[in-house]
Amino acid sequence: MGSEHFYRHNVYVTTATHAPSTPAHPTLNRPNMVSVGTVVWLSSELMFFAGLFAMYFTLRSTSADMWSVEAAKLNVPFALVNTIVLVSSSFSCQMGVFAAERLQPRRTGGRFGFSRWGMTEWFTLTFILGAIFVAGQSIEYTTLVSEHVSLSSDAYGSAFYLTTGFHGLHVIGGLIAFLFIIGRAFVAKRFGHFEATSAIVVSYYWHFVDVVWIGLFLVIYVLK
Amino acid sequence: MKIESKLFGWGTFFFVPVAIVYGFMTNWTEWVGTLAILLLAGLSAMIGFYLAFTARRVGMRPEDRLDAEIHEGAGEQGHFSPWSWWPLVLGLACATGFAGMAIGFWVVYIAGGMAIVALVGWVYEYSRGDHAH
Repeated sequence: MGSEHFYRHNVYVTTATHAPSTPAHPTLNRPNMVSVGTVVWLSSELMFFAGLFAMYFTLRSTSADMWSVEAAKLNVPFALVNTIVLVSSSFSCQMGVFAAERLQPRRTGGRFGFSRWGMTEWFTLTFILGAIFVAGQSIEYTTLVSEHVSLSSDAYGSAFYLTTGFHGLHVIGGLIAFLFIIGRAFVAKRFGHFEATSAIVVSYYWHFVDVVWIGLFLVIYVLK
Repeated sequence: MKIESKLFGWGTFFFVPVAIVYGFMTNWTEWVGTLAILLLAGLSAMIGFYLAFTARRVGMRPEDRLDAEIHEGAGEQGHFSPWSWWPLVLGLACATGFAGMAIGFWVVYIAGGMAIVALVGWVYEYSRGDHAH
C-alpha cells in the first residue's frame, strides 16, 4: 500500500466489510434485497401512474365532446408501430438479463451471432429500440402541436401530454440507466453478481415502464 | 416467504371487489377512486406475485422454519455501502435545481451538470479506485 493510500482513512473499513468482486451473491436461501426493494418501489410508481390515469379518465368524463374531436387527431398506426418497438425492447432486455445471469458481459461469437451475445450487446440493442421509441414520440408530439394539440391548448392536450410525457421521461430515465449498466460491465474486469444484480433490477424497471405504456396505449389510442 | 406473498397477494381479492362496488356506488362517474382502488389491486398483485415467485426460487429461509437456529441466518446479506459522499452531492444537485426553478432557470442547468457528476460517482463508486474489480 503506497503512502498516498495511507492517508485515506476509509481504506481499512471498506476493504474489511465487503468486496463486491467476491461472489457476493446473497446465499441462495434468501431473496436479493435489491430486487425486492426495486419491486416495492415500482409498486409505488404504479400508484403514481394511477394518479395520471385518474386525471385522464376524470377529464374525459367531464368533457366528452372535446375528447371525440381531439382524439380523432391521433395517428394510431404510427403509435402502434412505436408500441411494438417498445415491447420488442423488453424482449431484448430480457435476453440481456439471461446473459447477465450466466455472468457473460460480452459476446463470444460474431457480431451478429445473437445466440452468443452477452449482456452489453443485448442492452445496447434495447437502448437503440428505446431511443427509437422516444424519437417516435417526439415526432408524434411535433405533429400534434402543429394540429393545435398542446400542453396548454385544452384539457385533452394537458391530459395527453402529462400521461405520455411522464411515461416518456421514465423511458429516458431507463435509457440513462442502461448506459450506466453497460458502463459497469465495461469497467469490471470480473463481471460478477454485483454487476448482474444491477442489470436485473434495471430490467424490472424497463418491463414495468413497458407494461405502463401498454396500459396508456390501450386507454389513449384504442379506447380514446 | 409464503406468508409475505400472501400478505400482499390476498390484497388483490379485496381491492378488485371493492373497486367494483365503489364504481357502482358512484354510478361509474367518479374515476379517481375507482382507478386508485383498482390499481391498488395491481400493487398488491405485483408485490405478491414477485414474493411468491421468489419464495419458490429460494425455498425455506431460516425464519420460515420453527426448528431453525440463529446461526443459519449468518453470512452475506447483500452489498451495503459503509459510507458514501455521493448521496450528499446528488442531494445538493436536487436542492440547487429546485432553487434554480425559483430564482432563475439558468441555475437548473448547473444543477443538471452536478446531478450527472453525482450519478456517475454514485453508480461507479464500487467499480473503480480501491474497489476496482
